Amino acid sequence: MPNIRRRDFLAASAALSGLAVSGLPTFAQAPRRGGTLRVSVDQAVAKLNPLVTRVNPEYLVSELLYSGLTRLKLDMSAEPDLAESWTNSADLTEWTFVLRKGVAFHDGSPCTAADVVATFEAILDPKTASPARQNVGPIAKVTAKDTTTVVFTLSAPFADLPVTIAYTNAKIVPAAVIKGGLEKLDRQAIGTGPFKLVSFEPERQVVVTRNDAYFDKARPYLDKIEVVVYPDASAEASALIAGDTDLLASTPPTEFGRLQKATAVKALRVPSGQFCNVNFGCDQKPFNDVRVRQALALTVDRTAMVDFVSEGFGSPGNDTALNPAYRFYADLPAKKPDIAKAKALLAEAGYPKGLEATLIASDRPAQRTQLAVALREMSKPAGFDIKVETMPHATYLDQVWKKGSFYVGFYNMQATADAIFSLLYTSNAAWNETRWNNAAFDKAVFEARSTIDDTKRRALYAEAQRLMNAEVPSIIPVFFNLLAAQREWVVGYQLHPRGAVFRLDHVSLGANAPKRG
Amino acid sequence: MSPAYVLKRILLIGYTLFVVSLIVFAITQILPADAAVMMLGENATPDALAALRTQMGLNNPFWMQYLHWLGGVVRGDFGISMRTNLPVAPAMLEALGRSLLLALFSILLMLAVAVPLGIVAAVRRGRAIDLGVSFLSYVGVSVPEFVTATLVVLVLADWLQWLPATGYIPLTEDLMRGLKHLVLPVLTVSMILIAHVSRMVRSELIDVLHSDYVRAARLKGLSKRQVLFKHALRNALLPTITIVALDVGYLLGGVIVVEEIFALPGIGRQLIVAIQARDLPSIQAGALIMATTYAVVNFIADIAYAWLDRRIQYD
Repeated sequence: MPNIRRRDFLAASAALSGLAVSGLPTFAQAPRRGGTLRVSVDQAVAKLNPLVTRVNPEYLVSELLYSGLTRLKLDMSAEPDLAESWTNSADLTEWTFVLRKGVAFHDGSPCTAADVVATFEAILDPKTASPARQNVGPIAKVTAKDTTTVVFTLSAPFADLPVTIAYTNAKIVPAAVIKGGLEKLDRQAIGTGPFKLVSFEPERQVVVTRNDAYFDKARPYLDKIEVVVYPDASAEASALIAGDTDLLASTPPTEFGRLQKATAVKALRVPSGQFCNVNFGCDQKPFNDVRVRQALALTVDRTAMVDFVSEGFGSPGNDTALNPAYRFYADLPAKKPDIAKAKALLAEAGYPKGLEATLIASDRPAQRTQLAVALREMSKPAGFDIKVETMPHATYLDQVWKKGSFYVGFYNMQATADAIFSLLYTSNAAWNETRWNNAAFDKAVFEARSTIDDTKRRALYAEAQRLMNAEVPSIIPVFFNLLAAQREWVVGYQLHPRGAVFRLDHVSLGANAPKRG
Repeated sequence: MSPAYVLKRILLIGYTLFVVSLIVFAITQILPADAAVMMLGENATPDALAALRTQMGLNNPFWMQYLHWLGGVVRGDFGISMRTNLPVAPAMLEALGRSLLLALFSILLMLAVAVPLGIVAAVRRGRAIDLGVSFLSYVGVSVPEFVTATLVVLVLADWLQWLPATGYIPLTEDLMRGLKHLVLPVLTVSMILIAHVSRMVRSELIDVLHSDYVRAARLKGLSKRQVLFKHALRNALLPTITIVALDVGYLLGGVIVVEEIFALPGIGRQLIVAIQARDLPSIQAGALIMATTYAVVNFIADIAYAWLDRRIQYD
């Protein structure tokens, strides 16, 4: 199945670049085996232990070295990884996963249900401080039925489990290592992944080599991958353009134009669910009045916002947390600026002379400030007098985030609709920054997570999105594209909308790729 | 210069380092947010924060954290990085090694270029060549590193493709590739050094050339060349030692932008990353390493002064 998708992708990209004819013969060929791929990342791979990694470069490396039970496809659905298949009880409180047979860790020891159980127990243990703990779903208990069957007992019905356990940190590590102390994994990697660790220098590079014992006989296609750290975005782009590197994992809009123009370089972009928003404290004046929030939302020219905040590499948002990159996106009528109506709503809410407020934006990433300044200007005609206060990110995290009642947020895409809603917008959300506490919304989200039928879930999530769109707990004016680039000789790489998933085991090198040490 | 003086200076360095560590630790306490907050960022739930803080030992009072750290240092243990969970000392020393490599090559190149340039400019004072050197050194001093760095990358790597754009390869891994990767950062850094050292040499030499003893040497019938190289230059170059000493300090920590652009993970960048992550043990180690280098290099410069110029006495 991966082959078919790869061909579709090749055909599509070849057609786009006008290479359909000359590129044809290569379609029939299987991916070339061998070669070294040099990937650049924008920050250090500070942590190797897959249970506690926190940034994309670390996820990239841990995906090479470790496997999860499932993994995330480009359409945000789950596909088998260590688990071959899975079934659920009718009430969605018990999920059974059947593991592949004969899988071994890099040290030769077999990977069995006991390792899976030990891993999930470690993840759920607060002492491990794994980010996966809040993200894998409502798991109450994990048991091994036999050496290849694992049963997850949940504390509540949950339909998304196969997707949530594909979480970046839910990688299976040996039970023996957990018993002996996880710090062993700070420096070495004992996984079941497609590659094995050769060397690890956090600030400079990580080198991995093909795991010949990987459970998929065909993959990976490459012999070796070097993950190189380039902290400066324009230097990173130069390295790709000069041919020092083959693939650039992510790049800002400021470098993207240069990469698009470079020869033998393919600039990559994909719409993502990553967004920037304006959070309202819905329990405090003046934003506890829905009309004030609606009025401000009506001043936003979302198309202009996309140009200004994402430099054109984005798409307009509709004040709901989902966009087409998510599986259960509902296509609601796009909001358009309406200053007269905004003024009327503001007057109705008791502010006929306008309203003053201070909007706080952290300085990282720069889009936050851009959004704040744009909103200040767009809302002026309707009578809003917004002062923008920019502050260092550390100060923001310490003093404003989750505490303030009018500030700019920035969020990465989650794997599921449920994850983003119950992270930010339900009453019991982990962060609940807006304190919107809408019972109808909570009910829709809760019912959707307890339902397996896709049609019913789609209707419930549509209702949740309609509520956000109407009541505006936060203004979400823009979703970002993820940007990256590769040399033309890199074959089979697909930029993942989630941002934290890379699937480099599907990548191979074309015949014209340079030989690297 | 008495051995007692040297001993006194060494003790003073030790005391300075202790004060530095105390000040740095105190400053990190005033900074908003701690290592746990910075690491979790907008992924922090209250219980995740609490778990991480316990794991990092951030729940202990400030003085206890400091004493714990100091106790380790006395035993030669600089602690475990909060960011990477790896021992701090090896990582920092490795970064220092990379910075030293950059510093060494840059200073060699600077001496090889700046001193002759300064001499020529001083001797041909007011002529076209002097004006040319002056103009170039003004440019060199006033153009910031990130502009120079971007320009050399653009021209030598992007357009001409003579050299790799950025990236660092240890010389022990691949000597030729390693050297090639060093060329652009060394070029960038030495441009600034060359600019101010050549100006320094020029003005010192002009002063010396106008001094009485040089006039006396000329009147005694020595050739221009003999006066310049045997008498004038020796005295004129003395202040250059101070400049080089200060430059070593600048090169080990002050060239963060260059380290960043060329992906050369030196001590300066390591320290910045540590500060951003509020990684206390790494901040402390980095600050101490930089303070030590400054102190030691200045100490060496002072001793070299006394040795080169016997008129200088320390006690």
